[in-house]
Amino acid sequence: MKHLRFLPMTALLAAVSFFSSCSDDPDPVVVPPNEEGLIEVDGGGATYPNSVFISLRSGVQTPVARTTWDLAFSTGSDFKVLINGTTGAMASATDKTDINAVGATEIAAAEASGELVMGFTNMLGILHVDDAADPLSNPTIAAVSATEANNLVYLLSRGASGVDAKPWKKIRVIRNGEGYTLQHADADATTFTSLNISKDSDDNFVYVNFENGVVNVEPAKTDWDIVWTAGTSETAFPAATNGKLAYFYQDLVYHNIYGGTSAVAVLEETVPFAEFDETDVPSLVFNSDNRLTIGSTWRYTGGPSSPNPPSAFDTIYYVVKDSDGNVYKLRFLSLTKDGERGKPSFEYELVEAGN
Amino acid sequence: MMILWLGAFGTYPEGLAQTVLKGKVVTEKGEAIPHATVWLGDAQGKVADEQGGFVLGELPNGSSLRISAVGFETLSTQWPAGLNEAYFTLAQSTSDLEQVVITGSFEPQSARNSVYQVRSIEAKEISKRAPMILQDVLNTQVGIRFSQDNAVGSSNMELLGMSGQNVKILIDGVPMVGRQGTSNEININQIDVNQIERVEIVEGPMSVVYGADALAGVINIITKKSSDNTWGLSVRVQEESVGSSYSPFTGDGNHQRAISGTGMVNNWNFGLGYSQNRFGGWKGDYTGRQYQWLPRNQDFANARIGLAKEAISLDYQLDFLHETVFTYGPEARLEMIDQNFVTDRWMHRLLGQWDLSSEFALSWQGGWTNYKRDSETWVSNVRTGEKYLSTAPGAQATIKYNGFSWRAMGNWSLGSKLKIQPGVDLNLENGSGERITDNEGMQDYAVFLTGEWTPNSWIQIRPGLRKANNSIYDAPGLIPSLNTKFRLAETLDLRLSYAKGFRAPSIRELYFDFFDASHSIQGNPNLKAETSDSFNGSFNWSPKIKGELKTSSVLGFFYNDVEDRIAYGQDPENIQITTLFNVENFKTAGTTLSQTFHYKGLETNLGFSYIGRYNLISEEIEDTPQMAWTPEVTANTIYQIEKWGASVSLFYKYTGELPAYQTVVDGGNVTAQEVKTDAYHWMDLTLGKELIPNLNLNLGIKNLLDVTQINSTAAGGDAHGGGSSRPIGYGRSYFLGLTYQLNK
Repeated sequence: MKHLRFLPMTALLAAVSFFSSCSDDPDPVVVPPNEEGLIEVDGGGATYPNSVFISLRSGVQTPVARTTWDLAFSTGSDFKVLINGTTGAMASATDKTDINAVGATEIAAAEASGELVMGFTNMLGILHVDDAADPLSNPTIAAVSATEANNLVYLLSRGASGVDAKPWKKIRVIRNGEGYTLQHADADATTFTSLNISKDSDDNFVYVNFENGVVNVEPAKTDWDIVWTAGTSETAFPAATNGKLAYFYQDLVYHNIYGGTSAVAVLEETVPFAEFDETDVPSLVFNSDNRLTIGSTWRYTGGPSSPNPPSAFDTIYYVVKDSDGNVYKLRFLSLTKDGERGKPSFEYELVEAGN
Repeated sequence: MMILWLGAFGTYPEGLAQTVLKGKVVTEKGEAIPHATVWLGDAQGKVADEQGGFVLGELPNGSSLRISAVGFETLSTQWPAGLNEAYFTLAQSTSDLEQVVITGSFEPQSARNSVYQVRSIEAKEISKRAPMILQDVLNTQVGIRFSQDNAVGSSNMELLGMSGQNVKILIDGVPMVGRQGTSNEININQIDVNQIERVEIVEGPMSVVYGADALAGVINIITKKSSDNTWGLSVRVQEESVGSSYSPFTGDGNHQRAISGTGMVNNWNFGLGYSQNRFGGWKGDYTGRQYQWLPRNQDFANARIGLAKEAISLDYQLDFLHETVFTYGPEARLEMIDQNFVTDRWMHRLLGQWDLSSEFALSWQGGWTNYKRDSETWVSNVRTGEKYLSTAPGAQATIKYNGFSWRAMGNWSLGSKLKIQPGVDLNLENGSGERITDNEGMQDYAVFLTGEWTPNSWIQIRPGLRKANNSIYDAPGLIPSLNTKFRLAETLDLRLSYAKGFRAPSIRELYFDFFDASHSIQGNPNLKAETSDSFNGSFNWSPKIKGELKTSSVLGFFYNDVEDRIAYGQDPENIQITTLFNVENFKTAGTTLSQTFHYKGLETNLGFSYIGRYNLISEEIEDTPQMAWTPEVTANTIYQIEKWGASVSLFYKYTGELPAYQTVVDGGNVTAQEVKTDAYHWMDLTLGKELIPNLNLNLGIKNLLDVTQINSTAAGGDAHGGGSSRPIGYGRSYFLGLTYQLNK
């Protein structure tokens, strides 16, 4: 996927290099950022199969099937592992460190409590998913300890939200120098597979699929700004643990908080989108530690009992600063295409070019 | 009410008329009753003269007489032995206070004589309400609460603490079909108010006669039937504001036009009617395209043909409803999505009675209903101006229900003390459409046997049994009921009843599936019926008329215990899936009081109820009360100013705070939290006047106290939250209506 995405970019770079090489300009080649654009997101339609990573300055969108991956390994200095929130995955710690020792007992206990089921009947759900706003700040799988004996085996539901359910897995992650070793197996298996994973600092995460090993999912961390996807978030629910229910949303938009993108919402009534310019930027407080700044705030969907048509609000828009410091204003035009969800569209304009 | 005074007056010289018996029919005040009919034994009657006097040539067989007159209770008596002259006093009929009711009975009878406590809302009151929809008539009734489903523009009802799924809505005894199938959560506003003669409400289960879903009670809507007129014409126009929004005759506001005609040729009678409702919607907090109360167009048409002969009567009625509810999506920068919900309903009814002999009669109520509801999704592209039907999956959907019902009941009189009433009740139903899995439909065959035993003048006992066989779910075993009425005193009746009730799982609960990213909801075809044990009682006190003051009081009490209530839970086979089970318990209990006064032109009914709903959480957390109680107070007054041909009516209801409990999890601690839905007051005012003969004007104010919504402290009961306020009304609305009625 990554390779495909790079094709137009490299072609463009090559072309620019070719033309600029005629001049004697010794400065490095800079691709000017897109001034404006209208993007119809290729979310895949009514079953919203894709996560779509979008770079505003190149106007490139990268659709990736949500089922492509199972675990994301942080490439930062910390040792953290995320589960796939875009399929509604959930994980539950066992009290064991021997992956072969985990089986029927743990499965039965988790099935009985229903803790690995996403939905409004699971009052414990919030404890079994990564933090919705800043997953690395509070992942459901504890940070991988340097002390191997502290790293517990987890039961993992690979997610059944808007995707077909698969049998549960059991996993254990330990450190391997500056990288990780993943032990994984079907939840009821008596043997396991090991996979070594090394960090790549060009990316936010290294993605792993149990069947395919390391897979390409997210573009390089400075090559995207926002991602449209379905995914696990939370909703207030008094009867649930911590008053929050883990809940699966369609049409979430995250900005790339780990790759240097920041964002802020602006109401039309504060400054109309058309009138927003660089003079309005300094007063804004950009957010870089909550990827839900755009989140679900841009659209109305109702619920199963509400046949009110889903729609994109026309009262709100967003200002996004990419990792190069380019500031864009961005507004969603539609949650649907011809009434079909999973095909949203938005338009954006450069407000202030970065360095 | 039968008050009898017999006496002879010695004011006539004796011996003047040895062979002639002279009688006089008088009121309780001694005033003559003209033109009373006097029946001699089984023989033909005589008609009394202007002064109430009549003359008999000889003493009738066994000296027995029956005297009847319009407006008076019929008197059965004997000629006083040895007297040539007698006064006969007829008690004034209490029909102003107590009406004729039919629900639960074989044929219409005086409400006072029914073993059921039947509340009846009569044509007079209905016309004073100047209703646009049936909810306008019922919204100040004690024990009835409405909740608006503004997402689909419909209204749900609760009766005595039980949800609308447990209330059977009948039209002339025939169950209605709605969005959720037969007799389930019927939107009572899909009924033409202009066709309604009266509304009868029976509280407590009526499952022996009416079957499934008559658990909380029955609301039986009695339509206008043939009158004694050769022909009749009725035209009604009403214009109403919706809060402060109004434009004449179309668009904003609430507009109704109706016309109907009746005719009679020999034994045949005919009727035709058409009504049109145009509700312009109410934006509420919205400023753009959206409406909080959705605009709605309704067109009703009905036709009727009836045959009334001595031994047989037949009535065929056809009703048609076409309703469109409009949902406008919000302004959008590119695509705006609107949805219309279009309902078409055809309902055929065949009612009849056949008196085969003086001992045996047969009556039946049959119905055939086609119900179809389309959801249309329209896309408007703001930039191109195009508008087209959405092609998204599920954007165009149709749900269809067909329902057939046939109830036949025999009435077998075994002497004067015993009546046996056997019956059959067939209900066939099928449903299909988006999200409803294929199914074979539901067939329900039931037989029932009721009877009424009147061992003496003060006891009435009506036992009943029903046995049903259902093609889908396990029908409950024998459904028994026992209704009794005791005349404790001439003015005091006590009714006590026990009944088993049941609610059938709806087609939706059995077969409705909903799957998306965050929902896996599946119907459960293995559901069985919810059943209830219900105890009801009431004292009915109708004291003698004092001067011009007539009063009556009804004090009622009830207790319902529901088992196997259907509730959502996780499928143990696949805990990803939420489905329905017979798991919960539910109870209601309460007391109601109704006090009616008539004084000259003033007619007032005061009502009070105090009703408890079961708190399910008390099963887990014992320090919460088992029941959550809420009061209601109503005051409905009509004042007739005869000399001006005018009336003033005020309808008021206080709906008390509704407490409930929800669990809160704080760390590992589960505690209960009390949440409350606010109380509110509702008031409607109508001024009526006859402008010229046959032409009546109604004007007034609905929702005088300007209620729009009430708050609830409940934090979103479901994951979609949002439920912290509940819509009640759309603000103070003004109306002006004209009714022209001509009969020959």
